Amino acid sequence: MSQPGGPMGQPVMGQTIAEKILAAKAGVSHVTPGQIVDAYPDLVMSHTATWRSVSVMKKIGATRLYDPNRLAIVLDHISPAKTEKYAADQQTSRNFAREYGIEKFYDVDAGIAHLVLMEHGHVKPGDLIVGTDSHCTIYGALGALGSGIGYTEVASVWVTGKLWMKVPTTIKLTLTGRFAAGVSAKDLMLHLIGTLGADGCGYKSVEFYGSALPEMSISERMTMANLAMEMGSKCVFIPPDEKTREWLLPRLKNPASYQPVLADKDAVYEQSIEVDLSKLTPMIACPHQVENTKPVTEVLGTRIDQAFLGSCANGKYEDLVVAAGILKGRKIDPGVRLIVTPGSKEIMLEAMRSGILATLVESGALVTNPGCGACAGDGGTMADGEVSLSTANRNFVGRMGSNKSSIYLSSPATLAASALKGEIADPREFF
Amino acid sequence: MQDTIQGRIYKFGDNVNSDIIIAGRYLIYIEPAKLAEHAFEMLGEGFPAKLRSFDILVAGRNFGCGSAREQASTAIKGLGIKAVVAASFARTFYRNAINDALPIVECPELYEAVAEGDEISIDLAKGVVAHAGSQYGFPQIPESVAKILKLGGLANYLKSTLRA
Amino acid sequence: MNMVEKILARKSGQKSVAPGDVVVTDIDLMVMHDLSANFVMKVFNNEMEGASIRDPSKLVFAFDHNFAPATRDAAEALAAVRKFAAKHKVQHLFDSGCGSIHHVIMEAGLVTPGMIIIGCDSHTPIHGALGAFATGVGNNSMAALGFAHSQGWFKVPETIKIHFHGTPMKAVQPRDISQFLVGKLGEDGAIYKALEYAGPYIESLDVNDRALFPLQAIDVGGKCGFVNPDEKTVRYAQQLLGSKPAASKFELFKNDPDCRYAEVVDIDVSRIEPQVACPPTVGNVKPIDAAVGTPVNVAEIGGSTGGRLSDIRALARHFVNRRVHPGVRLQVVPASRGIYLAALKEGLFETLHVAGANIFPPSCGSNQAFNMGALAEDEVMVSTQARNFPGRNGHPKARHFLASALTVAASALTGKITDPRTLEAS
Repeated sequence: MSQPGGPMGQPVMGQTIAEKILAAKAGVSHVTPGQIVDAYPDLVMSHTATWRSVSVMKKIGATRLYDPNRLAIVLDHISPAKTEKYAADQQTSRNFAREYGIEKFYDVDAGIAHLVLMEHGHVKPGDLIVGTDSHCTIYGALGALGSGIGYTEVASVWVTGKLWMKVPTTIKLTLTGRFAAGVSAKDLMLHLIGTLGADGCGYKSVEFYGSALPEMSISERMTMANLAMEMGSKCVFIPPDEKTREWLLPRLKNPASYQPVLADKDAVYEQSIEVDLSKLTPMIACPHQVENTKPVTEVLGTRIDQAFLGSCANGKYEDLVVAAGILKGRKIDPGVRLIVTPGSKEIMLEAMRSGILATLVESGALVTNPGCGACAGDGGTMADGEVSLSTANRNFVGRMGSNKSSIYLSSPATLAASALKGEIADPREFF
Repeated sequence: MQDTIQGRIYKFGDNVNSDIIIAGRYLIYIEPAKLAEHAFEMLGEGFPAKLRSFDILVAGRNFGCGSAREQASTAIKGLGIKAVVAASFARTFYRNAINDALPIVECPELYEAVAEGDEISIDLAKGVVAHAGSQYGFPQIPESVAKILKLGGLANYLKSTLRA
Repeated sequence: MNMVEKILARKSGQKSVAPGDVVVTDIDLMVMHDLSANFVMKVFNNEMEGASIRDPSKLVFAFDHNFAPATRDAAEALAAVRKFAAKHKVQHLFDSGCGSIHHVIMEAGLVTPGMIIIGCDSHTPIHGALGAFATGVGNNSMAALGFAHSQGWFKVPETIKIHFHGTPMKAVQPRDISQFLVGKLGEDGAIYKALEYAGPYIESLDVNDRALFPLQAIDVGGKCGFVNPDEKTVRYAQQLLGSKPAASKFELFKNDPDCRYAEVVDIDVSRIEPQVACPPTVGNVKPIDAAVGTPVNVAEIGGSTGGRLSDIRALARHFVNRRVHPGVRLQVVPASRGIYLAALKEGLFETLHVAGANIFPPSCGSNQAFNMGALAEDEVMVSTQARNFPGRNGHPKARHFLASALTVAASALTGKITDPRTLEAS
C-alpha cells in the first residue's frame, strides 16, 4: 500500500476541516466522526459571564491558569453596568484579568466579543476556539473551529487547558448563483434554517463551498457562520481564500501564523446540500422560533414598534452601510424606534468617518454605544403587545422584554425598509 | 448519584429553548435556588411553582437549544428535577447538564409514549427507561464523559483531579 | 418689579405684584420626562376620573432617562405614556434618544422668553436663563392644576441677587462658579427664593453658560433662577425659535432699575478655584484640592448640567492624539440630537472615540443609572451630572464627584481627580 494505514491498518480517508483541526489539537494524526478526543483550544473566550467562571475557579480551589495567553475576555453583554450587581460582576472580571495579566482583555466600551476578537487578529484559520457564547461558530468565517460551552467548562479549560470533544460529521453546503438585488447572506441563512430546522445540523460541522463563495465578503461570511448556530451546528467553516487572507493578514501579530486548514479532496461528508442564491428572496423569521421563517411577502404590513440594527449577526460596518443606503435622505416612520448598535469601536469609527453614522441619526435612528445591545436584552426592552423587527439571531419569546411581545428577524435591508414604513416591508423596492 | 431515577413527568414539545428555560435577565444568578424561582417563567408566572411538583422532564427534539447558558440546567436542577429525557438535546445543553450533574437521557420513543403526570423509571446503569409496562433503551453516555456526571459534575471532578 | 414679578403680574392679569402675594396664572408650558410623565399620568387617571386636559398643546413629554428601556417595567411605563399622549392628543412627545429634557425642549423651539413654565423636574428653573419664569412642581399640582386648567398658583418669591464680577482663573469654568455659589449659600440658603444671577461676569457669558446657574437653583432650595434678559438672550431665543411665529412675537420682561432684593451677595470670581461637589450631597462643595488624587473608574460628560456642545468641545480639545487613562471609562452623553449631530460633524466624536471614550445616545446618561452609570461598591465616578446622592449610581458606598467638563477631562487623562489648571490642551 502506498498510503499509511490507520491504527487498524485500514486505508485512511481524507479529512474534513473539523477532523483536521480536532486531530491537531488532540495531538493525533487522524480522527473519525463519533470519536471523543481531549482537545487543547488555542483560545478560550468569555464575555460578561467571566465572573461566573472566576467563581468556579475559586470554588475548586485552583489558582493557576494553564496558559494566560490563551484567554480572551470581552465585556460585551450588558455594557455599561446599569445595576450594582452588574457593576460588581464586571469588576470581578476586570480584577481577574488584571491579576492574571490577561492581555486580551477588552472592557465595556469595546463592542461585541466575537467581532472584537476577530478585528484584533486573535482568530486565525485552523484555530480551535471555545467560549461562553453559542455564536462562537462565527469564527468559522475565518476558518477556525468555534464552539460554545458553559461557564464551568470555560473555567475547566482555563485550568487544564483542554476539554473533551466529539468529532462531528460534516455537511457540505454548496452555494451557486448570486443574490438578487435586495437579498443577502441573512436571507440565505434564514432560508436554510427554515428548511433544515433548528436542529437540522445538530452536533454537525458545516462546510460551505460553491461558485458563489469567492464573491462573498468577510462580513457576509461572518453573518453566515453566526446564523449557522441557529440550525444547531457544532461548528461551521467558510474555507479561507484570498479574501480571508487580505482581511486577516494585516491584523495578525505574526503573519507567519496564517496557515489555512482546508478539507482533503477525498474528505467524507455525511450530506450534501445545494442552494442557488439567485432563487432566494428576502426572508423573515417570525415569532417565536428562528426556524419559523417566511418570505417577507407573506408578512408585509405587520406593524412594528421598534427596529434593531445590530448584533454579531448583522451589526458590522457593511450592514450599517446597507441600511444607511436605504435610509439616506429619508425619515423613519414616527411610530418606530430605530435603535442602531454598532458591533464594535472599529465599526463605529468607520461609520463616523464615512458619514454613515450621521445618515442614520438624521433619519431618526438612535445610535448606542457598541456592544451586544438589545439582542441580549440590554436596552430596547419591549412592553406587552409590542413588536420588534431585529437583525439579531434569536427571536425566542421574552428575549427582548415582555413575554407578550414579539420579535421578527430580518436582514439589514429589510430592517431599514420596514423602519421607513412603520411595518414589515420588502427591501427590493429600494434597489 | 443514583443509578435509578423515578417519578412523575412533565411533558414539553420540541425546541424548548434556552430563553424559555431561564431568561437572560436572571443570568446574574448562578445559585440553583434563585434560578429555580424564574425557571420557565416565560411560559407563565405560575410555571416555576407548578414544575416543582414533577420529578422528571420529558421533551421532544432539540431540548435546550439556543444560548450556551449553563444556568438552563442549573435552573432545572434547582426546581428539584431529577433528570431530563428528550428525543434529542441541543449540544450545549447536553454538555452543561453533564457538567451540572443533571442526568440526561436521549429517548425519542419514550417521548412519543408518555403523557403529563405519568410515572417512569430510568435505569442509568442498564440504559433502559420503563413506562406503563414497556421498556425503552437509550444510548449510554460514553464512559470518559459519564465519569463527570458520576462525580457530581465538572467542578467536583476538577477538584478531585487537582487534588490528585 | 424684577423679571419674575413682571411675568407673574402679567400672567395673572395684574398691574403689579410683590413678594408674598399669591397669584393664579396661566401656564404656557408643562414639562415632564419619562419618569414624571408616568407619575402625573397615574394621578390624572386614578384620582381625577372624568377630567380632561384643557390644552394638550402646552404639554411636553421627553423620554430622557431611558434611551432604550433596560427592564420590562421601564418599557411598560414608556408604553403607557405613549398611549396616554395619543389618547389626549399631546403632540409634543420626544421619544427615547431625544436628549436631556431641558435641552430637548429648548432645541425644539418650545421655550420663549416671557413664558411661565412648570415641570415635574427640579431642574426646570434652567429656562430662567432665557427670560422665562420656570419652576418645578409636584405631580399632583401638575395633574390637578396644570393638566385640568392650564393654570397654576404661585407665591411671589423674594429675590436674592448674586452679583458676580472679576475674571476667572484659567481653566475655571462657569460650572465651578455655580458650584461655588451652592457651597457658599448652602443647601437651604435660598429656600423658596428666586435667585438672580447678575454682574459683569454673568453678562460676559453666553446664554448656554448662563443656564448652568439657574439649573442649580434647586441645590440651594431656590424656587427659580434667572438672568435679566439682554441682547444675548434675544439672539439666543431667536436662534432657537428659528422660523417659528414665536420668534418675532415674544415679550421680553426686564428688571426695573429700582427693583428690590431681599439680599445681595457679592462674588469675586477671580478668587474661585475649580470646585467639586463631593459625596454624599450636592451641597458638599469644596475646592478641588480636597479631592485631587482620588482614583477614578468612570468619567462622564452628560446630564442636564453637562453634555452640551461646549462641554464636548472642551473635552475633545484635551484628547487630540492622547488616550484616556487605561483605568478610566470615559462616557460622553450629548444632551440632544442636535448636539449629537454637531459633535459628529465637527469630528469631536471621532477624536474622543479614538482616544478611548465611549459615545452614548442623547439622554441624561448616568442620571439614576437607568441605562448606564451603575457603580460597584469601591468605584468612583467624576462627572458633570447634577446629583451625587448615595445609591443613585449603583452601590450606596460608590462615590460620585460632580465637577466641570475640564475637571472631568483632566481626570480622564490621569486616572485620578485632577486640577484642570495643571492641564494643557493637546
